[in-house]
Amino acid sequence: MPSGASGSETQSQSSSEASSVRYEEATKCYPGASEPAVDALTLEVPAGEICVLVGPSGCGKTTAMRMVNRTVDITSGDILIGGSSVREREPAQLRREIGYVIQQIGLFPHRTISENIGAVPQLLGWKKERTRERSAELLALVGLDPELGDRYPAQLSGGQQQRVGVARALAADPLVMLMDEPFGAIDPINRERLQNEFLRLQAEIRKTVLFVTHDIDEAIKMGDRIAIMREGGRVQQYATPAELLMAPANEFVEDFVGADRALKRLALMRVADINLWEAPLAYVGQATAEVRAKLAAPDVEIPYPLLVDGERRPLGWLSERDLERDVVPAQADSPLGPVLELADVMRDALADLLQHESQYAPVVDHRGRIAGVLSVEIISEFLASPQAKSDEHSAVERPHD
Amino acid sequence: MSAPYPLLASFGGAIEFIFTPQESNVTGGKKVGGFDKVVELMLKQLEVTALALALALIIALPIGLWLGHRGKGELLAIGIGNAGRAIPELALIALVAALIGVGLLNLTPALAVIGIPPILTNAYTGVRQVDRPTVDAARGIGMTELEIIRRVELPMAIPTVMGGIRGAAIAILATATIAPLAGVESLGDFIINENVYGDNGVLAGALLVALMALALEGSLAFLQSRLTSDGLKLKTV
Amino acid sequence: MTSPGLLAAAGQVGEGFFHERSSGTLPCQARTSHLFCFDWARENIDRYGTPTVQHLELVVFSLLLGFAVAFVLALLAHRTRWLRPPLLASTGVLYTIPSIAFFFLLLPITGRGRDTAIIVLAAYTLQIIYRNTMVGLDNVPESAKDAARGMGFTERQILWRIELPLATPEIVAGLRIASLSTVAIATLAVFAGAGGLGTQIYGQGNLTFPTTIIIAGGIAILMALALDIMLLLVQRLTTPWRKAAAA
Repeated sequence: MPSGASGSETQSQSSSEASSVRYEEATKCYPGASEPAVDALTLEVPAGEICVLVGPSGCGKTTAMRMVNRTVDITSGDILIGGSSVREREPAQLRREIGYVIQQIGLFPHRTISENIGAVPQLLGWKKERTRERSAELLALVGLDPELGDRYPAQLSGGQQQRVGVARALAADPLVMLMDEPFGAIDPINRERLQNEFLRLQAEIRKTVLFVTHDIDEAIKMGDRIAIMREGGRVQQYATPAELLMAPANEFVEDFVGADRALKRLALMRVADINLWEAPLAYVGQATAEVRAKLAAPDVEIPYPLLVDGERRPLGWLSERDLERDVVPAQADSPLGPVLELADVMRDALADLLQHESQYAPVVDHRGRIAGVLSVEIISEFLASPQAKSDEHSAVERPHD
Repeated sequence: MSAPYPLLASFGGAIEFIFTPQESNVTGGKKVGGFDKVVELMLKQLEVTALALALALIIALPIGLWLGHRGKGELLAIGIGNAGRAIPELALIALVAALIGVGLLNLTPALAVIGIPPILTNAYTGVRQVDRPTVDAARGIGMTELEIIRRVELPMAIPTVMGGIRGAAIAILATATIAPLAGVESLGDFIINENVYGDNGVLAGALLVALMALALEGSLAFLQSRLTSDGLKLKTV
Repeated sequence: MTSPGLLAAAGQVGEGFFHERSSGTLPCQARTSHLFCFDWARENIDRYGTPTVQHLELVVFSLLLGFAVAFVLALLAHRTRWLRPPLLASTGVLYTIPSIAFFFLLLPITGRGRDTAIIVLAAYTLQIIYRNTMVGLDNVPESAKDAARGMGFTERQILWRIELPLATPEIVAGLRIASLSTVAIATLAVFAGAGGLGTQIYGQGNLTFPTTIIIAGGIAILMALALDIMLLLVQRLTTPWRKAAAA
């Protein structure tokens, strides 16, 4: 990706890389306040990761984020971007290298979408042609029709506006992105779409992102790493979502994460991530004696045979009555019930199981062929196993469709 | 630009004119100016201003409030407001004098015409700006339309409406300054007839008119403050 | 008791009476009750040329001066909050003082003539332009400023590239209102010895002659209208985003 115009040479990073962000005892004290808003925060965000700062209102998460681009000035301590202190930079210059997305979006009403996106490049002195190209490129990147470039913000919906907000933040290819409840003012349906879109984007561009939210579900969905904060910006736990859900560090974290944390974990994985049980397969036209032999095997996990066709596609469950015949019939006694796919989100799979009151559900691959059988028992066993923690996906790879 | 001493001297002369009758060149020995005369003319100016303002209020206030309440006639209300500013007062007074006649009875309606636009426009916008949900709530608890105007919209519109009334009062007072051209006495007499009253008279007249205008504005501002509920005052910048 | 001025004017017209030829018909302008003398108007239209130009000059210079001063004051008050009440109050005072009085108050300082008139007319416009500029600046969405600051705009860049452009509609609206009242009040400039259309209303017996009053007043009103439309066009041209939003 093209790098920004070189005005200042103090940044040693090439701009197409992302930089790490490190808080070193960063503190913010407002005059007249008895307690610091952010108290000696020490935290490291590795380059290319999304770090979510989450906590109740007033805990200092927004203040902590704003200290990075010095829209809130640092009282003591420091913040290093890629190893360079932000306190040594001139604020306006610093901010032009950091992407900034806020909840109220804040597009300039009097400028076209294209001009809005090109705001920082213009400040940096890019040539007009290059700025225009970049705007068009970014519009496409955030999934908007390039024609919208000539419209004004008032003509766009809230969701579209915030996409422009993100595009605007990316325009000068920043080292770090700051996002302050960026999807908070959007309706829930579009919010989910925007979250998914951003994760898709992040898979491509891999920026270092500091993301602030008060919504733990959003944090779990978006974060590679999550910092749960209390008043004073005091981090209670800084961990991956799976760690957070499986092993909350204290009562505050437990309460904040919510009593349904087990279910929340299920949203993070797919059916394919788990070891499925096998059902004894019965092909149409097969001799029932063979099937009965399989059933009698000592290591059989499921006591019912699954009827499949030549392609190993499940057709139904065989009953005792079916097995009294010589050959496996073409139609089974018991219906299939819900059929799950390997790509299904585990949480949805569990919901299906519970809704249909089925004990077992066959799982098929993308071509409809049997891959295994899922049951509620399998799920709860898995949740209890230590293996679950180590199998975590990064945010961009987690299910979010 | 004169040096400071003559400046002070001019104002000194003006102050004298206000309080003591002076000799005049024109009226052949009869003295002009003096405190009694000043008060007489001041009251006359206030009289015509008050009459014209009252007339303007009676006409414009109900219409403006009603239009604002119904939300209709925006073009009319705003348009009249703008057009009113463009009326050349001198032409108006002169026209009245030439066509209709001189005297209080003829002049008062003309002055009222000057006062109508600000009152109408501000009554309209003042009511329009009242929070719609508040009005809905009032309607919901069973107030009649008239009650809504009286108890909800008018009190909340007071700052804007009074602003319009103040504007009208000042505009009428200012125009009343040249009322002598149409046969109605006012302090403007001193200003217009320089040959009679001399430099001192002119300056005195100017001073008095200015002070009277400021006093009127001040008292109306005070009245507005008393009429505005405390809750509303918290909102204003 | 009618003013001496009015008596003198009547006397002049009366003279015209007696010197009339005995054709039986009086000239239009002698009959004070006659509303509009078209013949006279056609013949004498030239005399309005200079006063109109003077009038226009007065208005334009006053608006420019008033705008310049009010704009600077507004920028100051925008930056320094505590200046706001005193500035609002002082521009208000200048607005309250009737212009005639103001002309003559300045007499000892600046004398008769155009300068005095322009100063007074400009002072009259200060309040509306100042107030509208302040309102326009205050109405700029905080989110746009927050985003700009966070993106790396300096305070000065925010003022000139974001706040002022967005405040333009309000500012031009203030200018429009100011231009209307300035045209109207400039008719009084005759009292300050500054010429203008007022000379055709008040001066040498014009006072009892409706035709000239109507013509002069009419020109003033047309001038006001023309300025208003021009400024409206300026507003439309400088704010393309509002048109788009309304679409």
